[in-house]
Amino acid sequence: MAELEIRDLTVRVDGSDILTGVTLDLEKGKTLALMGPNGSGKSTLAYAIAGHPAYEITGGQVLFNGEDITGWTPDERNRAGVFLAMQYPVEVPGVSLTNFLRTAVNARLEEDKPVREFMGDLRAAMAELQVDESFLQRSVNEGFSGGEKKRFEILQMALLRPEIAVLDETDSGLDVDALRVVAEGIDSLRGPDLGVLLITHYTRILRYLQPDEVHVMLGGRIVASGGPELADELEDHGYEHYAVSA
Amino acid sequence: MTTSLDTATREVAVHPTLDTLTEDYLHGMSADAGEPAWLSDRRQQALSTWAAQSWPDRKRDEFWRNTPFARLVDVTQPLVAGSPGARETHTVELAEGVVDRLDAPAATVTMVDGDLLEVRVDPEWADRGLVVLGLRDAAAGPWAGIVSEHLGSLTTTGHGSGRDEDRTISANDAAWDAGVFVYAPADLEVKAPIGIQLQVTRPGVHMPRLLVKAEHHATLQVVVEHLGGELPDVDRTARAKAPAVVDEVMEVIAGDGSQVDVVSLHEHGDDVAFLALQKAGVHRDATVRHLSVTLGGATVRLRPEADLLGPGAAAAYAGIYFADDGQHFDVQPYMRHIAGNTVSNVLYKGALQGDSRTVFRGNVFIHRDAKGSDTQEDNRNLILTKGARADSTPFLEIECADITAGHGSATGQIDARNLFYLQSRGIPREDALRLIVLGFFNEVIERIDVPIVVERARAAIEREVADADLDAFTVSEVAPDRDD
Repeated sequence: MAELEIRDLTVRVDGSDILTGVTLDLEKGKTLALMGPNGSGKSTLAYAIAGHPAYEITGGQVLFNGEDITGWTPDERNRAGVFLAMQYPVEVPGVSLTNFLRTAVNARLEEDKPVREFMGDLRAAMAELQVDESFLQRSVNEGFSGGEKKRFEILQMALLRPEIAVLDETDSGLDVDALRVVAEGIDSLRGPDLGVLLITHYTRILRYLQPDEVHVMLGGRIVASGGPELADELEDHGYEHYAVSA
Repeated sequence: MTTSLDTATREVAVHPTLDTLTEDYLHGMSADAGEPAWLSDRRQQALSTWAAQSWPDRKRDEFWRNTPFARLVDVTQPLVAGSPGARETHTVELAEGVVDRLDAPAATVTMVDGDLLEVRVDPEWADRGLVVLGLRDAAAGPWAGIVSEHLGSLTTTGHGSGRDEDRTISANDAAWDAGVFVYAPADLEVKAPIGIQLQVTRPGVHMPRLLVKAEHHATLQVVVEHLGGELPDVDRTARAKAPAVVDEVMEVIAGDGSQVDVVSLHEHGDDVAFLALQKAGVHRDATVRHLSVTLGGATVRLRPEADLLGPGAAAAYAGIYFADDGQHFDVQPYMRHIAGNTVSNVLYKGALQGDSRTVFRGNVFIHRDAKGSDTQEDNRNLILTKGARADSTPFLEIECADITAGHGSATGQIDARNLFYLQSRGIPREDALRLIVLGFFNEVIERIDVPIVVERARAAIEREVADADLDAFTVSEVAPDRDD
């Protein structure tokens, strides 16, 4: 049984159905790439998995370890082990990054981790992602550049140790060097205990993170599924081919 | 029973209310306290101003437009100073505050119901010239010249656009009861806080008066703490208005190149109406910073003001307020740029819940000669639950073209995107709301450099949020993100 099972999912946003019958399985230890053009519904799927209140599930199920989590609050989902790295991380004014991370880690681990141990983990993760120490003095995402925000998302993923990570266009807005650092950071977290759903428009991040499966989304449906070679086809031919057949 | 009623009736006739001040009463008060003639004369002058004025009226006075004085302030309450029982020995439980816990203060003052209870000055600072004294003692002794020069200099003369002071100020000018005088001689940098605690333990009208003077290049940090209320033996059901009124005036004279920090904490119980003018005259290259934390009081009307009188003078005023059910807070900073190249920066942040009301009116005046001046003024309000109302008006009066002026005002709910972001990291809703509200205030709180005050302010906000009905918190409408 896959840890994350998406069953015939229909999601409505602002009164219209954006996803219509999406089915997808993600096991721990696997990396799935979900690709598609702008507006195809990729981010909608990500938000629906995470429980964003503006994304209404009108049909189907999201099962995590066999349990239907569609009625769970976003924090319950995260504490259970489902993590979303957002495409546009939100600035939370006045909330210090350290305080935020510690609160999140304690909530996820359901224990009060000693400060010294927490800071050790934090510094190690920061070094891995080449995040400067000065960030500790800042507020969550406030004044961060696009690239800094993305690094910070992966930093959180490293500390929160999810079982399933949904990475929504984590590669967008990154220059080549930043892309490499972030991709290597993600790669270091991959292993038998983590399943990754990598949502992307382009194939460039897949050069660092070889997927086990590639799925193509268009018009709120999955229109093609295959192995890593499918990404190469998309690189060569684009999405137009599917648009015609879809 | 009958006897005591007779006594009470007689005493009320002898001891005036805020509405019935008389020459005789003020003469008697001055004489009893051994005040010098000049001070007694000042009081009489102020009384004639008072007599010519009427109480603020929201229809006539634009500064009172959103605060119904007649409904919120009971002018028929007797003055506590000299009123029955004031001189009797009685034991009261004083609320503990930050002034009791300041780390190595240069001086502390405790004032209770119109009496100075205690004035303590660290001998080392006293040796170096710091003066902290009862205002009457200062007026009668070697400091008479300085007190006479500055007492009332910011309330009666007015500068620039000025504004006609209302009767709440002339009443204090005439009848202030207990006062404190703080003085730093030239070049003395007092690197330790001076704590002044004002306690209300009895109903009636309290009229504290504070005068702070920093000579050129001196440094002072003054923490003024307002506590008390929750009075026993007061029938709250019988009256809608708060049975205790505090009508305070504080004047700060910042000499050339001096730096004065004022931190004012307002934590009265919900049976106190608190009116305060805390005004600084800022001279050449001096900086005055004013920080207020308003959490308690049935009604609070705070006027943190600065007259920027010399070139290069600067004022940085900031504050937070957190209004609960039944509270009415009105905060009206006023920055007057009289001289050129003066700078003012104003930032007030408030949160509201329940049936509460806040008013912010941020006034800035820039005189025609105040070339090169720079002002920035912002007010942000967070409406936590339905039914609360925040009014926010920036008001700029600019006579000079060659200046920089900016202002902003925003009132909204907790941002749903912030809440989702924190929740999506495993943080439960109530903890996320607490973080967001604390974060909202942090921008102001982190400017307070008295650690104990920061701690107290944070704890108070956490308590407010912990006691709140978090299910009733409303957040902004959730919008879907862009879908790429």
